[in-house]
Amino acid sequence: MLFSRSTLLRVAGMVLVPLTVFAGESTLQPDTAPDGNQLKKLTIETIHLNSENPDKGFVLHGRESRLQLLVTGLMDNGKLADYTRQVKYQSVPAGLIKIDENGYITPFLNGVVKIIVKGPNGLESKTKLDIRDTTKSRRINFTNQIVPIFTKLGCNSGGCHGKASGQNGFRLSLLGFEPKEDFEHLVIEGKGRRLSPAAPDQSLLLLKAAGIVPHGGGSRIDHDSPTFELLSRWIKQGMPFGKIGDPKVTKIIVSPTHRLMSQKQKQQLAVTAIYTDGSTKDVTRLVQYESNEKEMAEVSKTGLVELGKTAGQVAVMIRFQDQVTVFRATIPHGAPIEKKLIVKNFIDELVQKTLKTLELSSSQPCDDATFVRRASIDITGRLPTPTETKNFLENSDPKKREKWIHSLLESPGYSDYFANKWNAILRNKRRTNNSMRGNFLLHSWIRQSFQENKSYDLFAKEIITASGDIARTPAVTWFREVKNQEDQVQDVAQIFLGVRLQCAQCHHHPFEKWSQQDYYGFAAFFSQMGRKPGSQTGEEIIFHQPGIPAAINPKTKLPVRATGLGTGVIDIPPDQDPRVSLADWMAQKDNPFFARMLVNRYWKHFLGRGLVEPEDDMRITNPPTNPELLDALAKHFIDNGYDLKNLIYTICESQTYQRSSLPNKYNSKDSQTFSRYYAKRLTAEVLLDAIDQVTNVNTIFPGQPEGIRAVQLPDDSFNSDSYFLSLFGRPNNDSASESERTNDANLAQSLHLINSPMIYKKISNPKGRAVVLANDKSLTDEEKVRELYSWVYSRQPDNNELKVFLDYIDFKRRSSDKTTTLQDQVRIGYQDTLWALINSKEFLFNH
Amino acid sequence: MLTIYGANNRMCDGISRRNFIQIGALGMGGLTMPQLLQAEKNSTLGKSGKAIIMIYLPGGPPHQDMYEIKTDAPSEIRGEFSPIKTNVPGIEICEHLPRMAKIMDKLVLVRSLVGAENSHSSYQCMTGRISENRGTPPPGGWPELGSVLSKIKGPTHPAVPAYVNLSHKSKHGEYNFGRNSFLGVAHTPFKPAGDIRYDMTLNGVSLDRLADRRQLLQSFDSFRRDVDGSGLMKGMDSFNEQAFDVLTSSKLLKALDVEQEDPKLRDRYGRGSARPERDAAPMHMDQFLVARRLVEAGVRCVTVSFGYWDWHGKNFWNGRRYIPPFDQGVSALVEDLHQRGLDKDVSVVAWGEFGRTPKINKEGGRDHWPRVSCALLAGGGMRAGQAIGSTNRLGEEPKERPVHVQEVFSTLYHNLGIDANKTHIKDLADRPHYLVDGYNPIPEVT
Repeated sequence: MLFSRSTLLRVAGMVLVPLTVFAGESTLQPDTAPDGNQLKKLTIETIHLNSENPDKGFVLHGRESRLQLLVTGLMDNGKLADYTRQVKYQSVPAGLIKIDENGYITPFLNGVVKIIVKGPNGLESKTKLDIRDTTKSRRINFTNQIVPIFTKLGCNSGGCHGKASGQNGFRLSLLGFEPKEDFEHLVIEGKGRRLSPAAPDQSLLLLKAAGIVPHGGGSRIDHDSPTFELLSRWIKQGMPFGKIGDPKVTKIIVSPTHRLMSQKQKQQLAVTAIYTDGSTKDVTRLVQYESNEKEMAEVSKTGLVELGKTAGQVAVMIRFQDQVTVFRATIPHGAPIEKKLIVKNFIDELVQKTLKTLELSSSQPCDDATFVRRASIDITGRLPTPTETKNFLENSDPKKREKWIHSLLESPGYSDYFANKWNAILRNKRRTNNSMRGNFLLHSWIRQSFQENKSYDLFAKEIITASGDIARTPAVTWFREVKNQEDQVQDVAQIFLGVRLQCAQCHHHPFEKWSQQDYYGFAAFFSQMGRKPGSQTGEEIIFHQPGIPAAINPKTKLPVRATGLGTGVIDIPPDQDPRVSLADWMAQKDNPFFARMLVNRYWKHFLGRGLVEPEDDMRITNPPTNPELLDALAKHFIDNGYDLKNLIYTICESQTYQRSSLPNKYNSKDSQTFSRYYAKRLTAEVLLDAIDQVTNVNTIFPGQPEGIRAVQLPDDSFNSDSYFLSLFGRPNNDSASESERTNDANLAQSLHLINSPMIYKKISNPKGRAVVLANDKSLTDEEKVRELYSWVYSRQPDNNELKVFLDYIDFKRRSSDKTTTLQDQVRIGYQDTLWALINSKEFLFNH
Repeated sequence: MLTIYGANNRMCDGISRRNFIQIGALGMGGLTMPQLLQAEKNSTLGKSGKAIIMIYLPGGPPHQDMYEIKTDAPSEIRGEFSPIKTNVPGIEICEHLPRMAKIMDKLVLVRSLVGAENSHSSYQCMTGRISENRGTPPPGGWPELGSVLSKIKGPTHPAVPAYVNLSHKSKHGEYNFGRNSFLGVAHTPFKPAGDIRYDMTLNGVSLDRLADRRQLLQSFDSFRRDVDGSGLMKGMDSFNEQAFDVLTSSKLLKALDVEQEDPKLRDRYGRGSARPERDAAPMHMDQFLVARRLVEAGVRCVTVSFGYWDWHGKNFWNGRRYIPPFDQGVSALVEDLHQRGLDKDVSVVAWGEFGRTPKINKEGGRDHWPRVSCALLAGGGMRAGQAIGSTNRLGEEPKERPVHVQEVFSTLYHNLGIDANKTHIKDLADRPHYLVDGYNPIPEVT
């Protein structure tokens, strides 16, 4: 139903024209129906840029050219909607062009044609088109016209001919990134048996592609399609490659770039390629489309985006030759928005802006008991003690939450926990006993950096430029794992810039604009690193070798000078360590990657999900869910001198961080927009420490001082000794990726928590909390249960919960018989109680 | 009797944190939400789907003393063993494999296996890839066959792990498998002989007390599951259910309990003992029987480590000791699978990390020889009764039809209905990897 009855009443005075306007033509059923809103205006949008004067119309050159019209409707509530398939197209004079019902134009004859677009409510729009050169037969350019066909049809994908080993003896470059190679494979290889210029339609290439002869990939094109015709014509022309001066694609633009849409709505996209000679070409049906969330949006080969039933944000990546761009759709949830929301700082302002656009309602602020525990876990990796909890809950200071954040940041727990985090990112791995000194020194240095709140740019610089002996510069240890140029490029780019450069090592990055040249330009920063044996076995000294930094691109075999990502060549005098220049470039205020990467990483740490996901995969085709917030956080971070504690404080004091994790009626499906806190399970170390704290029995780690917490462990070697830690996914520090830490569940974990000897021992330990409490004659059962609750949940039980446990303990008391004493039974009761509390989800999760 | 309490269900806006859980509704589960759904789709209660049993022979058996005695070679290469005829004309194997000889029509021998990385490690046999010793696996490491199956197919039934590793811990660390990989701990195998075995029998509590604990937990652990949008809480609930099942009585435990089998059948397999042989694995033929039970219960991949094969000295003395139990166990397994009609669905592979030197050394042993090695295949609907490939006169290298390690992997995946060249898994950097590097299934058997 397009118009509800209430809408009709509301818009009294507007003339409603039924959709069957044009006699003799079929009824147009709108499939875009913004709720009850009226169409006010229709605009034809095309994105050819060579028209400065709209009156002159757009120009199409040649019979190969195409044009995708976009007809956009402006609704009376100000929203835009796609009407491309809801209008009738007419061209005058007839016969010069063909426009299909999707607004896609194919030119036939030269001339100027007027296009009239008729929509609902009697609305119209017009434009002009100037068709030229339809009789000219142009020499086909292989790179611009033929290679994209293989990408579009999937021939050169990594699943088929595009993989390194090709498919069934035929190889193409991945996604068409190397047209020269493709030309070799197609035209020259195999004595040219794949193409027959004398009988083009009989070429093996075409017979296979059309499925006329058996083809593992099936039939990819129809025998009578324009694509087949183009390929055939190219073969007929003698397979020209193209001349050196031929224009190349420099950019692609999509229209629209962003749209607010409703569930199940559709949007046609139009894509234009811009060439080195300034010419433009509509490539809407030549590009490859890929949605980044298939459940949320599907996109057809013709660029029609169709939304599913999920609200949120979705991006569609568009790829053409070596260029990429992205279309973003925002789909509101349709919930009523709160009128008055608490705003503590700019984070809340910007999150609320998105919540409003997405029509999401936010959950309530969390209560104090939840906050004291949540902040403690997120900042220090441990649970608060009952004393801390009690003091906090009874404190009436309106600023107590802010003060709690500050005290957590100033506690040793903060340095421990964040050293643990960065230890894994910086691959602090114990491989042999000889590596132990380096492991301990690196961990210690990292921890010290957080203790003294070293600014992040300095922290990064000290790591990247680390030189000398491990004893004096512990960060040199990092280069032990990050050994060769490959590792250095990949880790630095991923950790500090959020760019996954590794794909570009062997070919152009499939999802980004980075080329192999960019990869080796970045690698050049590490080309002057020398190593020699250090003062102890198994250690190395890193030093700078003077010289002009450059890395050899294996494809061109030429050296590439040092470039930052997206910059020109950076001039580095031969006696300066190029890594210093790299660190300086990263820390520049206008560096688009460095600050954004860190704030995204920390945002994910606290809020459970990065503004970009995965957190270290920031690219055009993976846009942030809240670009303004990401920019604002980055700017705030830079303006405050890359102060990490300040960043954490800013995040934790925000209302966004302090929302309850409980969904309300409307926001349980939200997982991107922070309308509530997203609960996360305690990580391996934190969980083990929590169990130790709650049971009051510490785990002993071999070779470490007694009482050491799992988050304080200096490297990954303890994973092999501790079944618990490896079982719950503590990373082996094998990669720079925080996703190496796995947070999946499995059967073995459940068995372990329910029934392991370790749990049994901690719970039944005579000096452990359960037994000590059980034996304590000075407290009542209720007081004991309350204390356990405080340790485990940082809150008090309500009456129902109290009853459950008090009943249970009584039940155990009543079950004493000849074999067990009353006191034994009481101990059993408390052990079982503590066991149950530890196995409950509220304990196992940070919520 | 213990009464179960819980808060009343108040559907107000974020006021009450507590609701009742529906016990039993959470009975179906998986690891992450997608696998939860996958397991529900896959649920073939009690039926075995297609599966693989992989027997790793740590140390690398001598190819020239197992399946292709080099009768034309001089005695310092040929050694002491003689060939015997099998029930397939034209194929002859070592005299110490008489039971296998009688069922050669059900076996496939690969006599010229190539591609060994030359590491004394189970890595390549388990993953099909080169390990850190010789190559650069992606961070986290390559996943083993069972882990891959766990990832792409998920469990056949929520209560039965997809990948079970029966092996005990070997003294030589590199023989051990069940490694973590870039697929994460969720896909590491269930290892009854590992640390988990301590968790699988009741510790310090009786069955009754466990039942009391369970009821207590259920009566108050009503923390709202919708707090967690990822489905992890629900997944954990279902694993809890399964854990209780394991501790009380379960499909899985029953499958692991070899005592439930007919003693005569156990004798046919040869029983064996759990005592490790040197620094390698025990000759524990009961494990082959358990492997059969596990695939019947729905496990997709069972791995076993068997015996000690690194005979640098006294090759033939060792051979007489270690080959016959292998002969007995494997032949019993293959016959058993055929008798139960499982031969089409269950593939068996038995191999080690490399072959051994043609020239017998002065200790009477053979050393490492990665240039060529051997493998035994069975079941999986493959065309059996074949010996594929052969080595040259001295057993140094393939004479015809070299078969790459990854061809075997490709074949095994194929037997499970997976095209290894079209299926991919993503590593920690989100980079997709195909399951094999362009190797096709062995055409002679598929």
